Order: sequence, then structure tokens, then C-alpha cells
Amino acid sequence: MALSCLTRALRSLTVSQNTLLSSQCELGALVSTTVAQCRGFLTTASLEQNKTLWKQREKYTIKPIGMKKTGGRDHTGRIRTHGIGGGHKQRYRWIDFQRLHYEEGKEGKPFEEKVVEVRYDPCRSADIALVAGGSRKRWIIATENMQAGDTIKTSAVIGRMAVLANEGDAHPLGALPVGTLVNNLEIQPGKGSEYIRAAGTSGVLLRKVNGTAIVQLPSKQQVQVHETCIVTVGRVSNIDHNKEIIGKAGRNRWFGVRPSSGLWQRKGGWAGRKIKPLPAMKNYVNLPSITAQ
Amino acid sequence: MFPETSRCVTAALSPFSKTAVLKELRRFFAHGGVCRLQPRRHFGVSRRLTAKVPPPRKPRERVPIPGLEMIDYGERMHYVPGLAKPVNPDWEKDFKDPRYYKSPPPDKMPLSKEKPCYVFNQRSSLLEGVPQALCLTKTKLIPGLPPQLLSAVENPANQIPDQDERVQNAIKHARFWDTTEERPDKTKYSNTLLNNLMHLCATLQSSHPAIGRRMLAEKCSLAATWKRGEDLFQIRGQNSLLHSCMDPLPVVSGKEEVAETADHVMQSLYPVSPTIDLQKIYVYKEEMNNTGFRDDYPYPHVHTLYILDGDDTNFSLRREQFRAKILMFAFGNALARAHKLYGTQPQHVLDCPITVQAVGTNGRIFQFLVFQLNTTDFSGDDGIKNQAWLDEDAELYDFAKVRPLIKKKQVKVPAGLAGYKPEIFNKFLAMYLHGAV
Repeated sequence: MALSCLTRALRSLTVSQNTLLSSQCELGALVSTTVAQCRGFLTTASLEQNKTLWKQREKYTIKPIGMKKTGGRDHTGRIRTHGIGGGHKQRYRWIDFQRLHYEEGKEGKPFEEKVVEVRYDPCRSADIALVAGGSRKRWIIATENMQAGDTIKTSAVIGRMAVLANEGDAHPLGALPVGTLVNNLEIQPGKGSEYIRAAGTSGVLLRKVNGTAIVQLPSKQQVQVHETCIVTVGRVSNIDHNKEIIGKAGRNRWFGVRPSSGLWQRKGGWAGRKIKPLPAMKNYVNLPSITAQ
Repeated sequence: MFPETSRCVTAALSPFSKTAVLKELRRFFAHGGVCRLQPRRHFGVSRRLTAKVPPPRKPRERVPIPGLEMIDYGERMHYVPGLAKPVNPDWEKDFKDPRYYKSPPPDKMPLSKEKPCYVFNQRSSLLEGVPQALCLTKTKLIPGLPPQLLSAVENPANQIPDQDERVQNAIKHARFWDTTEERPDKTKYSNTLLNNLMHLCATLQSSHPAIGRRMLAEKCSLAATWKRGEDLFQIRGQNSLLHSCMDPLPVVSGKEEVAETADHVMQSLYPVSPTIDLQKIYVYKEEMNNTGFRDDYPYPHVHTLYILDGDDTNFSLRREQFRAKILMFAFGNALARAHKLYGTQPQHVLDCPITVQAVGTNGRIFQFLVFQLNTTDFSGDDGIKNQAWLDEDAELYDFAKVRPLIKKKQVKVPAGLAGYKPEIFNKFLAMYLHGAV
């Protein structure tokens, strides 16, 4: 008798296609049937969230993509970051951070692009520019004086003499004269820019040292990167962004910033002005060390 | 299996609170949970059902090593630990079943080619607008309509009696009277307006018998292929309204002017390529030329093309892009006709240039175009070019408001038709009567 119960239980644990039909039934109908002596299993289909499905697009497009707001919640559903939620609906415009992105079939040659329009981007502080070159269009971060109708140049050539850089053009660090203001800095060549993208920011090219270049970031931190990393010349657009006055709590809510807790909390050692020496220069170039055998 | 499975679900529900699980599941279905064919097994009854599911593990990749034969347990008909899983060949039906037919990938289709073809269809919105269309069709643009066209309408014999009043009635019918709701849709009123204006022009048939030798056709498809420089281009689509005639349109510019176009320098679009915003395809039929009609159609010559903005698409184009669309479709019709008459080989100069007219409207603003095809040789930027006379942004009326626009208690724009311009209808009539006067 125990054996028959066990076999019945084990038999019921097999999964078959009939379960798909049962998942369509009313949940209430299931409750009314009698209870059997076997462990249950889930008859619904796999429960997948599509929280980040909007990000999974592979093909580049200039069409704005509808975004799902997270509200500061992570995949478990709990708040990971406080103070995020609500705000105006936003659509994501896919920015091509790899400025040196050759078109199909035209690799290796410096190319020019025409700026079609410069517009506000709800997802970042800087303005973005739609540029068209060859047969493709893409969004890039706009620089300070970029206007519709301008022509911007992108090249990967490092000549012996430094290039007279125009604002908005993109060159490798090794080709630019020392002291130029740069933005959209690539740390590893070809990876795409990850630094100096916020509104009004700019880095300074300090020195060029055999095959590497040292750039000062807006936080006064210095980084040493390979000289073939592409940067854009000039300051990022929307330079008065830091002078903007929010004015009222409501405007912050439109930006999706929720109020912080009003509880007065004693500030600890983290608060207050700190005067300390600059951190050491960060080196992102994989130079072979002398001690390596 | 049914009653067993349902019993098992209730057994799952009974150990702990039914309501909690039901709530989760119900909330889950409200979200629209994604269904897979194989349901996930669920042995634990006390965990959250809506947690993140780890992605399904991909099966191990089989790497065929040349020279080594995998021994699998296929022959033994049961699993044997240590032997490889048997790989069965993909089975395909030996007959073609239309219910379960999967089309091959684009590179394996029979018409796929290595060289791409750029297609202009009704939905194309060219980035550079008219300059890009001129570059693609090797055309010289002349602003304003040709004077001999406009002079025909100045003759009172060629005008409609009570013209202004009848045109205003036509506009009011299209904008105000043609609906049971407050105001009609843009596509509806633009369509009605165009039909009304054409009907008005057609009332002159009693005094101009040549109008009777014309025929109207809606949504006829068009296909034309040409090679510009190194690239192959095609224009494919449906014309909104085509007015075709038994006799060809008279040539607008004489041989001297045609020869003068050889000195005209084409505008360069650098750094934008003329192929931008065109659909790039690798599967196409070469030499695709189709006027939309059979050879024995009694009205083979295209007279005027009437294109409505937003008629065949669910979006409306900006004015510059709309003008480019009109130009391209007029060119396409002329080229298809030229290919039929003179063959598909590029001709440096056509003995009899083909003239096609086009009118585009969005219900209020009209774009008039006269296109003359002089050459089918598009290999370089020099040589004889085609000509296009374009009259841009002709507003037939300023406002046709159902409710008056009142700002600060003052009527800025009164209700009804305001700002009617009679000369625009004169141009419309001139284009209609071209060839019939």
C-alpha cells in the first residue's frame, strides 16, 4: 500500500504538456477539487519578468526606445537605491559612444559626418546630436558649440605633428596638442567612451609620454591611457547645467527624484570638507613590467 | 492526466496559505507572464514565485572532431552513461506544405544577390529631401512652374464660371460638411478636397473635349530600376491617384534648354551619401520595370500624379521630404514609361522627352511639380540632365476653423474659411488643362 502511494506520488511528479492547458483554467476551479496525497508542482508556465527586455535590442536604431522605470528596485523587487521613482515618462535614445565607429565597408579611413540636429535628452544632462555620415545616422553627445549643419571629423590617424583640433572633431590622444580640452574619453582603445560625458565637463590633456597620454579628469584625478584612445575635442554641451536652479520640490519630482527621509541624522566622519592629497595617477595601459620574466 | 494534475496543484496549495500563492499567481497573470512550452518544475512550496528566473542553460555545444566518430546510444535505444547523445538529422517533408513552410534565410533565397539595391518606397523619408532626390535622379531644379503652363489659365475661356465661389464651396464641403462629428480627419478631408477640385476642373470637358481622353486610376503599383553611378536603385510603391491620357503631354523645354542642362553642376551632398534613408536589400529582381498597366491599356501616357500626404502611410511627412517623394514618384513613372518605349539600355538623350506632372497636398498646402525626363543615362554627374519645375508650399487657404481661435477675449481667427487664395487654384487648373487647351 505504501509502495502504491509512493508510485502514485512519483508518477504525478512527471511533467507533461497537459499542464499548459491547465494553466489556462481559472485558479478558483483548482481549489474546489479534492486533495490527494502527493506533493504538488507548479502548473503555471515559467514566470519570467520582462523588466529589462527593452534593453535587449541588438540592432542599433535612432528611433527612441520606450523605457521601463525601475523606481530604484532591483531584480528581487526591493529598493536598492532610495530616492528614485516617478517623474516624466522618458524614451531612451541609443547613443553611440564609440565615436570611431566605421561604417560597413569603409573601415580604416577618417570620415566626416554632418550634424542634423542637436536636441535635449531626458536621460542625461548633456544635449545629444543626430549626425549623419555615409548612409547611416547615429546619436552622439553634443559638444559646446555644435549646431545643425556643422561637419565633424573622426579619424584614428596619429601623425608626427599634432593636429589643429576643431571643436567636435574626434582624434586619438596622441594626435592632439598638449593642453586641449577633451571630452568623451575612452579608457581602453575601441571600448567606447566612459568618462567626461556630463554637461559642461571637459578634461585636459596634460602630457604625452611614449605611447601613452595623461589626461586630467574633471575631478582633478589624472589617468594614463593609451595614445590611440579616441577623444572628442571641446567641452560637453549644456554648459549652464550646474547653474540651473530647481526652484521647487515639484521640479525635482518631475526629474524622478524622490524626497530623502526628513529625519535629522547626526553626520559622522564622512561629512564635511576634506583636504587631502590627490590620489595617485591611475594607469590603464598594460605596460609590461620590468620584473616580469 | 487532467484530474491528477489539478489534484496535485491543490495539494500544493494546502500545505501553506492558499491565498498567498494564489495572490502571487494572480498578480503574475495580470502582469502577463511569459509562457514557455515546458512548464518549470516547482518542488519547493515556500519560495517566492516572482523572483528572477535564471536564464535557461544552453545545451553543451557539440564539437565535431574530424577523424573521431562519436559512439552514441542511439542503436541501443536507451541511455547509457558514457556514450554520446545521438544527433538525429533534421527531418523535412518531401512535399511543400503551405501550413508549415519556413522561408529560407535571405542569403539562401533564389533571388539573393551580392550587390545591394537601394529601394525608395512610399514610406521613405529622405534626410536631405529635395537635393537628395535631385542627386538620385540627375535632375536640375527650376523654381516656379513653367510660364507657358500658367499663361493658359489667364485666358477667360479656360476658367470655370463662378470659379472662386465654387472652389470655396468645395473647401467648405471637405473641411466642414462631410462629417457627422465636429471635424473630419486629415486624410478624409484631403481626399475629399482633391476629389472636389478635380471634379470642378472636369466640368470644363464640354469646352475642352481633350479632357475626355483621360482616365483616373487609384493605387496602381509602380516599379522602376536605374543605375546611378555604382549603385542600383529601385523605386517601388503605389501611386495614390494617377491621371493618365491617350496622348502624351507636350514637351515643356525645347532642345536648346535640354542641351544647356549639360553645363549645370549637380549639388554635392557630402558627407551624407545619396543612399541614406533608402531601404537596402539584397534580394531583388533585376530589371524590374512596371508602369502598373498592361501594354494594351488605352491611356498609357501619365498626365498627372496626385499624391496625398498620409494616405498610404499612417504618418505624414515633413514638407521637404514630401516634395522629395513627389519628385521621386514622378520620376519613377516617367522612367518606367521610358524603359518601355526605348528599352532598358541607358539612353544619353531621349528623342522625345517624357513629361510627367505631379501635385502633392496635405489638405491645405499644395506642391506642384512638372518633371521632364531627358535622359536615362545616370552613370555620371555630367551630361544632359532631367528637369523639374517645382512650386513649393502653395497654401490654398490659411485657416478653416470649426471653432474660432480666441485669445484674451479677442477673436484672432474667425470660424469658417479664412485666407482663400484664388491663384493657387488657377495653378491647379493650369496643370489640369496642360495638354488639353
